[in-house]
Amino acid sequence: MGFTFEARVMWETAPLLLSGLALTLFITVVGLIIGFIFGVVMGFAKISKSRILNGIATAYVEVIRGTPLIVQAMFLYFGVPLATGTRIPPVLAGIIAIAVNSGAYIAEIVRGAVQSIEKGQMEAGRSIGLTHAQTMLHIIWPQAFKRMIPPLGNQFIISLKDTSLLMVIGVGELTMKGQEIISTTYRAFEIWLTVAILYLIMTFTLARLLRILERRLLVKGGA
Amino acid sequence: MGNVMISIENLHKRFGDTEVIKGISLSIEQGEVVVIIGASGSGKSTVLRCITRLEEITSGRIIVDGLDVHDPKTDINYVRTEAGMVFQNFNLFPHMTALENVTLGPIKVRGVPRRDAETLGLSLLEKVGLAERAHHYPSQLSGGQKQRVAIARALALSPKVILFDEPTSALDPELVGEVLAVMRQLANEGMTMVVVTHEMSFARDVADRVIFIDRGVICEEGSPDTLFTNPSNPRLREFLGKVLEGA
Repeated sequence: MGFTFEARVMWETAPLLLSGLALTLFITVVGLIIGFIFGVVMGFAKISKSRILNGIATAYVEVIRGTPLIVQAMFLYFGVPLATGTRIPPVLAGIIAIAVNSGAYIAEIVRGAVQSIEKGQMEAGRSIGLTHAQTMLHIIWPQAFKRMIPPLGNQFIISLKDTSLLMVIGVGELTMKGQEIISTTYRAFEIWLTVAILYLIMTFTLARLLRILERRLLVKGGA
Repeated sequence: MGNVMISIENLHKRFGDTEVIKGISLSIEQGEVVVIIGASGSGKSTVLRCITRLEEITSGRIIVDGLDVHDPKTDINYVRTEAGMVFQNFNLFPHMTALENVTLGPIKVRGVPRRDAETLGLSLLEKVGLAERAHHYPSQLSGGQKQRVAIARALALSPKVILFDEPTSALDPELVGEVLAVMRQLANEGMTMVVVTHEMSFARDVADRVIFIDRGVICEEGSPDTLFTNPSNPRLREFLGKVLEGA
């Protein structure tokens, strides 16, 4: 039995796949925005001298990093409602899972970048009378942010691809849409190829955007 | 004589098990230029850093312009605007232009409007000979230029005293002169200065008083003449022998 490549299937199913892609993008963007905020808060908590903040942040990072995203998502979607009595819509559960998950890795990125700034910068800021917070905001953060971009880019790409795991909780994102189409058309080759290309376009675009941002920031000061 | 600007009383400082400062007392008057010399590791930079509380002290007391620096009730940020600091490695903010480095303090700490701060900043950069470099980033400046920007940055808060922590030690030899020239000018204008340095010619020419710190204590102090021409202390003689040999 011969295999014939049917490009026609790719075009016919495109609208359905694109609706999945839109949801993938939506969950990625919203999840990462919240994840970035989590990450910054937890990253600074890890640096902080307060034992309590430090403990909370460390526990958060260890628990999230130490368990698979797929388990976190299923726990959130299937497990938590049994205890609380309220169901969470799958998309919301997906966003929370991506946010909480990426936040843990971003926390480490933020911590690393902030701690990589030479000690003399904090001393110089304090020496002109700035408070610790002012020095963080005006001196340390802008420099640290520049150093965060490459690892952040990595994490963003990982999180984007990780949204495909959310199909286990019934989120109709790109991978799930692909699966659905295959179950009625049986064109696994064409559909998975299309799905793969769509992911590639998204990750490639994201990488380019981050590189542009990095270059813009590098123009200012270079270091 | 003038008012006491800095008074250090029986300062002790230990890092872990090592006591680096073992009871130093020192009083610096307004308008005085005090140069601290000593071998590396003798504790001279640490004394300077304790004055603006970049290091916590183990015991003793430091008063700057009437304020007890290490008293938790003292507004340390205010003290630091009164006592500027110039670092060995400049520590300019690399993401800001020379002018922005200088104006940040006035704008954020003093609440000076940006335009006024820029006028002030430009005049200070002109004073250190760098008016035309105002919009350059630190990475575009030589070491000597960076250090002169750092001095302008310290001056921007009109401090009553400036502390220099080995300001020329990280510079190529040919760039040392331009930084020392600016410091000389400040000294001539009556700025109170405490300078930790290995530049013996600067100490000899500019200092009102030279202090030799050795192994965490003040070993000898006096006018540059007495210290350099007629060092009585054997440790000082040994130190000067080593330093001046290279000069």
